[in-house]
Amino acid sequence: MLTVLITGLATGMLFAAVALVYNVMYSTSKVLSVTTGHISMLGGVFGAYAISVLQLHWTLGLLAAVVAGGAFGALTELLAIRRVLNRSDEHLWLLSTLALATMVQQAAGLWWGTEPKPFPRLIPQDFGVGVMDQKFWLPIGMTLLMAIGLELFYKRTMYGKVFMAMSEDAFAAQARGISTDRIRLMSYVLSGALGGLAGFAAGQLTFAFFALGLTLTLNGFIALAVGGLGSNVGAILGGAALGLLNAYASYWFGGEYQQTIAVGLLMIVLLVKPEGLLGDRQVRPV
Amino acid sequence: MKSRFVQTTHALLMFTALVFGGSVLAADPIKIGWISSLTGALSSAALAENQGVQLAVDEINKNGGILGRQIELLTRDTSGDPTKAVNFAQQLAFSDKVHVVIGPVNSGEGLAAIPILARAGVPNIVIGSIDELIDPQKYPRAFRVINTNRQWISTANDYALKNLKKTKIAIIADTSGYGTASAKTATELLEKAGIKPVYSVLVDPNKTDLTDEMNKARAAGADIVMPWSAATGLLGRLLNARGDMGWRVPVVGHPALMAAQIRKLLNKPEYWESTFAAGYHSTTFGADGKLPQRTQQLVDKVRPKLGGGEIDVLFWWVAMGYDTVKVIEHAIKTSGSTDPVGIQKVLESTKDFKGVFATYSWSPTEHNGFPDSNMTVNSANTFKDGSFKSAPK
Repeated sequence: MLTVLITGLATGMLFAAVALVYNVMYSTSKVLSVTTGHISMLGGVFGAYAISVLQLHWTLGLLAAVVAGGAFGALTELLAIRRVLNRSDEHLWLLSTLALATMVQQAAGLWWGTEPKPFPRLIPQDFGVGVMDQKFWLPIGMTLLMAIGLELFYKRTMYGKVFMAMSEDAFAAQARGISTDRIRLMSYVLSGALGGLAGFAAGQLTFAFFALGLTLTLNGFIALAVGGLGSNVGAILGGAALGLLNAYASYWFGGEYQQTIAVGLLMIVLLVKPEGLLGDRQVRPV
Repeated sequence: MKSRFVQTTHALLMFTALVFGGSVLAADPIKIGWISSLTGALSSAALAENQGVQLAVDEINKNGGILGRQIELLTRDTSGDPTKAVNFAQQLAFSDKVHVVIGPVNSGEGLAAIPILARAGVPNIVIGSIDELIDPQKYPRAFRVINTNRQWISTANDYALKNLKKTKIAIIADTSGYGTASAKTATELLEKAGIKPVYSVLVDPNKTDLTDEMNKARAAGADIVMPWSAATGLLGRLLNARGDMGWRVPVVGHPALMAAQIRKLLNKPEYWESTFAAGYHSTTFGADGKLPQRTQQLVDKVRPKLGGGEIDVLFWWVAMGYDTVKVIEHAIKTSGSTDPVGIQKVLESTKDFKGVFATYSWSPTEHNGFPDSNMTVNSANTFKDGSFKSAPK
């Protein structure tokens, strides 16, 4: 039973990490990009490529994952977000980010291959250590570090405060002389780097697999919606809840009920508490 | 004088047109549509099959074609997308007016495209394995050259029960349509043999760890684990869970257990031991270390096209691709034309047609041509030069 708990927690923390990436992007653009999960997929693939194929040290593999994630984050903002937001208030970003996500997945499939490939061991450790295996603890630890780092970033740095200002009111921030395009681009690079990091940390758990993106996009969104949009603690709670529910549903009832229970959870939370567990209630003054 | 010259020229031109025009008509190519998935997911099987298809077409054309007519191969790449398979099926049947269609490659595409080809009345060589693709009533001109999924399952079940003498079976399948249907068929076939699985579970193909399922199987007293999934990630995780647990239980199941990608996903190479999967006699090394003669001949012909070194694709795909064209050649040659009714009649009365992949027989009521006698079980970690060693008997 302990393995159910740890497996669920580890997968849940990966979902939570994707939810954190959503939060960073959302703070400056109010966009929930479909490419969010694909960033983590790229982190896993580029990390595995750098370490296994190029035979680089794992620290350089980590750097490759972060750079690939950051670059794809920037590409998302430049190609799929900026022009759409500048021209229309409609939710056309859903289509533009979906198109970019599809393209990057196809490209990864053609280049990397369509079969899952192994992600190398990062820390020397025997196999067969059960729940102590690094494949579980790396994503858990990394996500917690990411959440703490983001909290510090928002509270202690100038750019963090600028992100917050844009999140509160982008027009007011612009009026105060903040270059919103530049800040939005920065937030996408930051979120891309974080997504790449998460994909790298969870690589041993997920394998380096081109088709991982959409699963992460969906589950990360569920974690975000359950926890509450904009709340990092909520993202962690939502991710953990989703991962654990998935694992226990699969253990008790079988894999065929896993997705139903996950989406069922989303529906229940949205019905009872539409703003999520820790989200802000959006009240529009009239 | 001038008008006589013009008349003579006209007469000569008409004569030329009649003679050569007639002969051009007689040498109209035989059009074979090949709905493949050469790019995208699942392309590895299609690329290997394409080698076999192309080789057979080249050979036949070099030897003068079929009934003096060259084969024109119209290859269409679906990228594994059923929507494209449907579009290509329509295009090949109605615009290109092909005489026969091979494919599509994947069962999901087949489910979508085969009814269209049936409606158009085009003879169809089916290379997908799920049972629903063949129905002599609904699709009277669809003939299968690959085994059925049921044959894979019953071969694996027989090996577990009769050779390994294991009766406490754990079935682990994935939640895809294929996995769910296979788990059901496996359970039915076992129950017919008087065996009730001690543990049966469906798992999400992307589940990150299978330790829990394997622990449950062990707790239920399983002495053999039978996975039914084509997802190499899932199979790799299952074998890793078995290895990490130190559980020395045999694993017997889907041919994907033997895929080269599995080896790369394993924590240790020895985790692949005691793993067996349904395979074919035609691509199994005999006790003398040799392949059947027909297979070896084809290996020798194909090797230069695959780079000249050791063959690193599953050779049964190449052999099956080759056979699809040879079956078409047999049907058209025997019936004497490309008339679809004639092709159907010939194939329905074909008995023991010797291909490389298998020896095929079809009848009016049975359009599955692959014989049980060509099924066998291989040891997963014995891949060499495109083929495998037999599992211990």
